[in-house]
Amino acid sequence: MSLISLQGVTKVYRVGEQEIRALDGIDLRIEEGEFVSIIGPSGSGKSTLMHLLGCLDTPTTGRMEICGRELSGAGSSELARMRNREIGFVFQSFNLLSRLDVLANIELPLIYSGLPTNERKERARKVAGEVGLGDRLANRPSQLSGGQCQRVAIARALVNGPRLVFGDEPTGNLDSATGLRILDIFEELNAAGKTVILVTHDPAIAARTRRIIEICDGRITKETLR
Amino acid sequence: MNFIVAIQTGMREIGSHKIRSALSMLGIILGVSSLISTMALTRGMEEGTRTFMQQLGGLELVRVVDKEPSAELFEFAVLSPGRTLRDAEAIQANAPLISHVSPELILKTTVSLENGGDPERRSVTGVIPGYFVIGMHAIDAGRFLTDLDVVRGSRCVVLGSTVAAELWPAVPATGLIGRRVLIHGSPFEVVGVLDRYEREEDKRARAEGRKVSSRRWDPFRSKNQAVLIPFATMFHEFLSGMFPEDSMHSIKLDAMPVRIGDLTRFPAALEQVRAVLQNTHRGVDDFDLETREDWFDRVESSVRAARLSGGLISAISLVVGAIGIMNIMLASISERVREIGIRLAIGARPSDIFLQILVESVLVSLIGGLLGIGASFGLVEVLKSISPTENVPIISAGGVFFSVAFALGTGLLSGIYPALKASRLDPITALRYE
Repeated sequence: MSLISLQGVTKVYRVGEQEIRALDGIDLRIEEGEFVSIIGPSGSGKSTLMHLLGCLDTPTTGRMEICGRELSGAGSSELARMRNREIGFVFQSFNLLSRLDVLANIELPLIYSGLPTNERKERARKVAGEVGLGDRLANRPSQLSGGQCQRVAIARALVNGPRLVFGDEPTGNLDSATGLRILDIFEELNAAGKTVILVTHDPAIAARTRRIIEICDGRITKETLR
Repeated sequence: MNFIVAIQTGMREIGSHKIRSALSMLGIILGVSSLISTMALTRGMEEGTRTFMQQLGGLELVRVVDKEPSAELFEFAVLSPGRTLRDAEAIQANAPLISHVSPELILKTTVSLENGGDPERRSVTGVIPGYFVIGMHAIDAGRFLTDLDVVRGSRCVVLGSTVAAELWPAVPATGLIGRRVLIHGSPFEVVGVLDRYEREEDKRARAEGRKVSSRRWDPFRSKNQAVLIPFATMFHEFLSGMFPEDSMHSIKLDAMPVRIGDLTRFPAALEQVRAVLQNTHRGVDDFDLETREDWFDRVESSVRAARLSGGLISAISLVVGAIGIMNIMLASISERVREIGIRLAIGARPSDIFLQILVESVLVSLIGGLLGIGASFGLVEVLKSISPTENVPIISAGGVFFSVAFALGTGLLSGIYPALKASRLDPITALRYE
């Protein structure tokens, strides 16, 4: 069974009188362990698609199943649970909490899964070590470089052991050398069995993935397998 | 997110905005401290009034007074002997709910030192031992008058502290026992001097060496001015000659207070007195019972009014504090939209966000409340030193508890709306918020 399965999914926003069809009949299957990129110009609907796949939103019509769960009409608590347990996000602008140190940022998802303090710290430390931040645990995000910040974000995305990791323009705010290193990490994650989905407008980044899904005007226009 | 984590998060949030948190706490601090202080003040007032009323004889004291008989009995009024010693004896014998009766004969006459000195007109009272109980007297030196004094009609006198001090300005009370005074020209031996009765405030003023203001009404004046001789002595020495037809038992009394033994049976006790007097007065309703209930009720209700208005003002300041908290929580939320978006994206449920904001608001008010308790103790110390009456403010555990509960409720109420607002944020919009 597929990890992600979308059938006839549409997403319609209403802005005043106007209807905007951000997604218009998407059929998509993604299997466990795939390395996928979603590429398209801005306004193409790729962010909307990522929000749906990332359980931040539900489709207007159509069926959406993620990790074996039908989520078309799911409530906010159920979506939150999915985001917490099955999904990790890495954003372009890192989205770290500036008032918390590195360790506290990484352990944040575990707080919402209700783990006891000791276990939280232990797991956060372990994941921080894996992304090479073991000696930066007490620093604030403002004391870190962009690449380090993105590593913190990756560690935070991984700490709950999700099956699905999203990168939303994960290298957009980084210089190209650092960006390459971050992409290496994503590659390693995929090699270790995670399903990784990158959202980008940069063909060079998409070229690193094995499956490229192109989107334009809310429809999948092209799929390339390498 | 469990409760402990919510508290930790809230504390960190409060700690990272110290001035903002302090300002929003200020309203609660003021509200709680003024609430506690008001309650302490009114409690002190209550306590002070109660002590004061107790010193004046308390609710147990009931006066039997003369009254115009009703119209239909008017022509029979002569049949009634009026208030006499017989009434007092009848009450003592037949009204078991009355613990003491004090028949009193009052004579305005001269009191002076034996070896001359200016005789001064004073009010001399003929009493029986019950008088000392009813008037809540305490002896400073010597003894009260006894039954034996009354039976024998002995020429002894108990003086109020002011009288004693005016007669012998420099002599302590103990030195006065055995000395003589002339009352209406007859020599009497001083057997006792009463305590000096004064308001707590005056007592304190005197202890601190300040001048006691004499301009104010002194409720203890008449007690301190007492010149007390045995009832029988009063009658035989001074009153029997005026109207030869009078006997000691038929002479009209000037006052006859009674003391009720058990306040829980107040109405029954009054009924007993009324029944006895109906009898001795031969059915003529020329007497009345004057209780202090009305007076006490008035005092109580004025204390209640003070408490209510003070409480109201404090409650208003708490409400102002609540509005302050709500305002600041709302501001802090719109400042933290992105943070809330991040928390939602990594798996916080709306209820987690709700809990976090609510706990933060409650923490602000709780800390404010605790600081308010501290402030109220300081405030009450200040009030104590400038408190113009004997009503020293008293902080009660109940008052503290009530105020903190009120502050907690305030925090809870003022946190609900901002928490609801925060928890309803859409994760995508919140994440994009700049």
